Amino acid sequence: MTFIGDGSNHQEMHLRAQRMIAQHHVEGLSQQERTWLDAHLQDCPECAGAAHSTEDALRALRATSIAFPSGLASRTQFRVRLRAEQLQESEPRSIAVWAIAGVSWALGIATAPHVWQLFAWMGERLHVPKLVWELGFGLWWLIPALIAGAVLLAESPRQRFMGSWQRR
Amino acid sequence: MMATDPTDRRALAEGLRRRDPELLDQLIEQYQFRLFRYLLYLTSHRERAEDFFQETWIRVLERGHQYDGKSKFEAWLFTISRNLVIDWQRQKKMQSLDTLTDSAQEQPLQFADTHSPSPLHLAMSGQQGSRIRASLEQIAIIYREVIVLRFHEELQIDEIAKVMNLPVSTVKTRLYRGLEALRAVMQGGAA
Repeated sequence: MTFIGDGSNHQEMHLRAQRMIAQHHVEGLSQQERTWLDAHLQDCPECAGAAHSTEDALRALRATSIAFPSGLASRTQFRVRLRAEQLQESEPRSIAVWAIAGVSWALGIATAPHVWQLFAWMGERLHVPKLVWELGFGLWWLIPALIAGAVLLAESPRQRFMGSWQRR
Repeated sequence: MMATDPTDRRALAEGLRRRDPELLDQLIEQYQFRLFRYLLYLTSHRERAEDFFQETWIRVLERGHQYDGKSKFEAWLFTISRNLVIDWQRQKKMQSLDTLTDSAQEQPLQFADTHSPSPLHLAMSGQQGSRIRASLEQIAIIYREVIVLRFHEELQIDEIAKVMNLPVSTVKTRLYRGLEALRAVMQGGAA
């Protein structure tokens, strides 16, 4: 985007200058643009005023100080440390749960043909309909995931409680 | 640790991945004013800003492994805090910051409660502070946010785009409009 040209129209030059004043703060100007703007500002009090008022507004914004709440940083540090300890405690437990679930699942795959035969044999011996023992076999497959899910569900309300307790 | 050069940033990323408590204490100290100021400008509510401040650092602890050290830490920090504010708004069944804008005209609505006592007023002290406060409150949140990120927090345009998850061109447009709005309201206040 460039605003340099031979615009003879004064209005157009003011518009260019004012766009460039903003561009100077937002994206920066090239040396050529800077030179043109400086020259224009020297001759044009109106645009020079706009440039000054923009500078003043930004200077005032940057100089603004905010009253920081006392103790907020230390309260936050305390809370973060508590949460870190909590995470440290819960992490090995989560890893163990997932490891156990993984091992059970792997064993499940390895033993699936035998367990299928066992379910079929028991179904036959107990005169259980085929659909029922097949469902039983499916449930047996889901057990590791169900255990892991139950542990995680039991864990999350505890964490939420700890989180709200630590606030403030 | 200012974490401005890539080596520092990598060390910072490594520390966050380890959840180093000393590092986190240091970061909270270092970025406390900037983060709180940003949240205050964003929410216009002091207590809410305090809550988000704490939640942001908890999230930094929990998700520290996601910081890759390639971008500025403060940009990542502001992204986290901004997302928390947006999540909270969604939970409150309110619209997000951007959906409050009429996309056709970019005429945003203010989501801060204009009837409550001004939190910026409470937070900013002195005559100069109240003039800025009055001016900022007249600027729509979407412009106020980019103005603060660019001219207060000194983020680059591409960093602001990342924080706000917006195209660079939109950030530029908002910056131009925000700057013009700031100049206009400051001039109006001074007149």
